[in-house]
Amino acid sequence: MASESSGRTFQEYLEHHLQNLVYGPLPAGHERKFYAKGSDEAGKEVYCQDKNLNYDGEKYCNETLTENGWYLANNKTDVEAMGFWALHIDTMFFSVLLGGLFLFIFARAAKNFSLDKPTKLQLFIEMMIDFINGVVKGTFKSAKNTLVAPMALTIFAWVLLMNLMDLVPVDLIPYPAELLGIPYLKVVPTTDLNLTASLALSVFVLYLFFSIKSKGFVGFIKSISLHPFGPWMLPANLFIEIIDLLAKPLSLALRLYGNLYAGEMIFLLIAGMVSIELTQLTIAGLGLNLAGIGLSLIWAIFHILIVVLQAFIFMMLTVVYMNMAHEKFEQH
Amino acid sequence: MNLNATLLGQMIAFGLFVWFCWKFVWPPLLAAMEERAQTIEQGLKDSEESAKKIIDAEEQGKKMLAEAKTEAKKIMDNAKNQSEKIVEESKNKATEEKERIVGSAQSEIEKEVVNAKKTLEKDFASSVMSAVKKIVAKEVSMSNYQDTVDKSLDEFRK
Repeated sequence: MASESSGRTFQEYLEHHLQNLVYGPLPAGHERKFYAKGSDEAGKEVYCQDKNLNYDGEKYCNETLTENGWYLANNKTDVEAMGFWALHIDTMFFSVLLGGLFLFIFARAAKNFSLDKPTKLQLFIEMMIDFINGVVKGTFKSAKNTLVAPMALTIFAWVLLMNLMDLVPVDLIPYPAELLGIPYLKVVPTTDLNLTASLALSVFVLYLFFSIKSKGFVGFIKSISLHPFGPWMLPANLFIEIIDLLAKPLSLALRLYGNLYAGEMIFLLIAGMVSIELTQLTIAGLGLNLAGIGLSLIWAIFHILIVVLQAFIFMMLTVVYMNMAHEKFEQH
Repeated sequence: MNLNATLLGQMIAFGLFVWFCWKFVWPPLLAAMEERAQTIEQGLKDSEESAKKIIDAEEQGKKMLAEAKTEAKKIMDNAKNQSEKIVEESKNKATEEKERIVGSAQSEIEKEVVNAKKTLEKDFASSVMSAVKKIVAKEVSMSNYQDTVDKSLDEFRK
């Protein structure tokens, strides 16, 4: 839909939608490129000159940086030049916004909790608490740990809210944002590997912490070196157990990321079928439009399932891993 | 999709969220819900107890009613017996009184009869004597016929 209106090819439209808004350091001498707006060569040149930039004769205005500094990335080369110390502003913004929303609603419900006159919101929140509590009590059977249940609630609610952003039509927020001068915007934080990996890594760190806390350091080493073949096959045990260990955060991060990224991708592909250039509309084009609208509806309905399921799976696996961390070392 | 500092930023954000939820959201909500569950449980228990109490009270009431009934019956029986006894006694007394009165009347009558007989005897003897005296004085001396008179008097007495 935005592909034609902003003069992009469908390929560029896809790439644009899959690029985060990155803020990071750029070194002196780096050449930045800006998309030149204008209907013809002269117009584009004027556009570039207005901004004190050089027009490259094709599509972009160029700017060569004279000193190091922090900039918003404008394209892939900027992002690559920024390296590790760059922030995805959009991911941070939407995730913190949604996390804050979740905590705000729940904390307010906790503050205004009424024993005999519950509001509907309170009933919903009680249902959530009851649900998480049931899952945690059913799965996490070992030592007393008050952190697991609230963490499970945070993960479930937060991931669910972030996943639900996937159901917002793909151009609804990025397109107006672009008109306001924000070059890129990804509104679904869980389609950013950074976010899913950060959750998985946090869970992994807690897993290691509680493992060592409950088994002791020696016990933990034993648990990864003496399984599953016994002491005489120690290298093989280590190999298997370390892969098993590392697979936990990796699978957590990639499962959520993969599901949501793929879902978003399909929304984008379907959106590519829809055109609002009425002057070029043919019968076939009309059919494609209707098919696109129908398909996006069907995919959105189906996606509700994925959204909730992935949030639940992430939460459930976290609880399972926490339970494993608290299990005492046993000789098989 | 490349990994960068966002990863660290998100880990910090996640840590803060979990900490906040752990400290300020989960415990009060869970505590409140448990309090409600306890209140409901207590209420159910109380109502069960009071239902039991009502049943107990009903039974006690029935028992008391039954006792009162037997008591009343006893009292009524007693009263009946008593009254019967009184009637019986008074009947007996009346019969006795009657017998006594009848007896005394009879003896009175007998006495009267004896008295009457005596008086009659005396009167009759003296009148006979006077009549005889009158007759005899005219015809014979009294002494000659004393024996005959006595004899006839004896015969009369018999």
